Amino acid sequence: MLKIKNLHAYYGRIRALENVSLHVRPGEIVSLIGANGAGKTTLLNAVSGILPRKRGEIYCEESRIDRLAPEKIVAAGISQVPEGRQIFAPMTVMENLELGAYLRYKKREKESIRTDLSRVFELFPRLAERSRQIAGTLSGGEQQMLAISRALMARPKLLLLDEPSMGLAPLVVTDIMDTICRLRDDGVTVLIVEQNAHASLTISERGYVLETGRIILQGTSEDLLNDGDVKRAYLGKDYETFVEGRDGQ
Amino acid sequence: MTTRENNLKDIGTEDLAQLQLEHLQSTLNRAYKNVPFYKKRFDGLGIDLSTLDVVRDLSKLPFTTRQDLADNYPYDMFAVPLRDIVRISPSAGTTAKPFVVGFTRGDLKARQRITARFLTVGGTTETDIVQICLNPGLSSWGRALKEGAEDIGASVMPMTHMSTAKQLLAMKDYRTSVLITTPSYAMHMLRVMQTIELDADRLALKAVFVVGGTIPTDWRRHLEKDLGVTLTAGYGLSDITAPAIGFECSDKSGFHISEDHFILEIVNPESGQPCSPGQEGEIVLTTLTGRAFPLVRFRTGDLASVKTGPCPCGTTFSRISEITGATGQVLTVSGIKMHPAQIEQVLQALPGPIPPRFVVRLYREDYLDRVEIWLEMTEGLFSDEVKRVEDHLKELRRRVFQMLGLEVSIKLMESATLDADHLPASRVIDER
Repeated sequence: MLKIKNLHAYYGRIRALENVSLHVRPGEIVSLIGANGAGKTTLLNAVSGILPRKRGEIYCEESRIDRLAPEKIVAAGISQVPEGRQIFAPMTVMENLELGAYLRYKKREKESIRTDLSRVFELFPRLAERSRQIAGTLSGGEQQMLAISRALMARPKLLLLDEPSMGLAPLVVTDIMDTICRLRDDGVTVLIVEQNAHASLTISERGYVLETGRIILQGTSEDLLNDGDVKRAYLGKDYETFVEGRDGQ
Repeated sequence: MTTRENNLKDIGTEDLAQLQLEHLQSTLNRAYKNVPFYKKRFDGLGIDLSTLDVVRDLSKLPFTTRQDLADNYPYDMFAVPLRDIVRISPSAGTTAKPFVVGFTRGDLKARQRITARFLTVGGTTETDIVQICLNPGLSSWGRALKEGAEDIGASVMPMTHMSTAKQLLAMKDYRTSVLITTPSYAMHMLRVMQTIELDADRLALKAVFVVGGTIPTDWRRHLEKDLGVTLTAGYGLSDITAPAIGFECSDKSGFHISEDHFILEIVNPESGQPCSPGQEGEIVLTTLTGRAFPLVRFRTGDLASVKTGPCPCGTTFSRISEITGATGQVLTVSGIKMHPAQIEQVLQALPGPIPPRFVVRLYREDYLDRVEIWLEMTEGLFSDEVKRVEDHLKELRRRVFQMLGLEVSIKLMESATLDADHLPASRVIDER
């Protein structure tokens, strides 16, 4: 579905990504984990075409997309759900969703847009109840659901999720992760970027670990969840036993 | 083991290329970050890892040798903290100094998958009874094969110290269906079967797996016919990794290298330049999935060539020929790698000012590899008491066994014999 070869990305003179290669197979959920500033968002922005300063090859279903404009990449089937939701706060839920289908309105796909709206409302009944509510007044979890729904309105084959758990209560995070699983079951492929490594690895098939712009590890989610380095750096485990071990001496 | 890994035909060339690129890049990033040896070496040569865009670019990187491993004894080649290591596997190495290989839990799992694949391709299933007969020098392999067979779900009888006759008796009584051993020990078992008048019909064997040595065509024919089995050979490095980095498929012509875990190169042993397909050279391996012990362009010391053309079995992994020899003075005895310098080191422990000179003679007896050391009778070694001389030799044999896991015999020689012109300068006579 997605294949990246030797991606380098720059912010001015600073190299944010160094020779990153990864792939996502159709129907997979793949996690990209890493600390703040490791380059996770940069990678998503490079894929969706928002970041112009880059070098390397990006393929979506065998066609090269790294030189396409962002709207062409959306048309190719890739939608990004940005970090911090970035919904249009003053507009209603419905208006936000309609904007997500912007490219399709131009193609006069009104009928299928209506079908997708009802599918989205089925997925998130809460949004149906609040379709006329101003988006900015939704709770954090609801805003995240809206952001995902808005991306789904472009009928993506591949969904790029940037920190969907950010700022949400643990119970709401579980809700969001469950929804992502349901999307995968519906046939959407997902690349998810997370600092909450545990939550995202638990629902994904495979994962990559990004550190200062480089991939330093990859594997099945099970292997990563059990990896010593991953546990220490991203799962917050081991530290306790480490300290206890020292006390015991 | 997942079906995906089991069904090798699923791994397309394009998929594999991407997989190798991704794993190679992260392996190099990890090695650079966590192993001072690699950092120093890459920095010293001004290598920028971020310019490595294709797997082929690997040839720009320096080699790693057994000497490097020995120089970084014991733990300096490890890329993870010791507390992530769950298995420490000592190796005699092939220099005077030994080295140590470490495994994380994940590494052991990966090795188990590689070994299970070898056994599955050769026909092992969960209903089999697997008997492992390897000598103590190959104990690390013995464990890997045991774990691989257990992964499949077979019933495993691990390596135990028993006489060949007893092994055969167990094979008959336990209804062993799969035997794992070395080529020479398989032949030896066949010979012992004749001696103890054990008919192959009374065995339940259906498959034999051989590791740790090249199997001559007539031996293979013998074993397959006389035992009524299919025979599958594997290639690996007894001192470093899994016993079946390379595995035979149904076509039985050369080894498919597990390219999802290793990158294969064949280089000219002298120039280090890549060999073209079909041309004999040294096998060089780079690990792709190893966490504890990443190896970048490791020179195996084994000679082979890459086979061209697709394999009839449909597996896309590259295929190499039989192992056609070794570089330098590394000897393979019953699957165990050794170097004459190791014998020399043991001899230094003997009394007397200068260690005696010696010649290593390798020969076969009842198909088994045997090592005989011809030792110069020096003044330091000489004594009026026969018992004292015998004690010295016993101690020597014990030390060699401790170092290499090999039983050797020692013959005392007059200095004149060792001066003889017909002896090779390498101090090794290989009659096999």
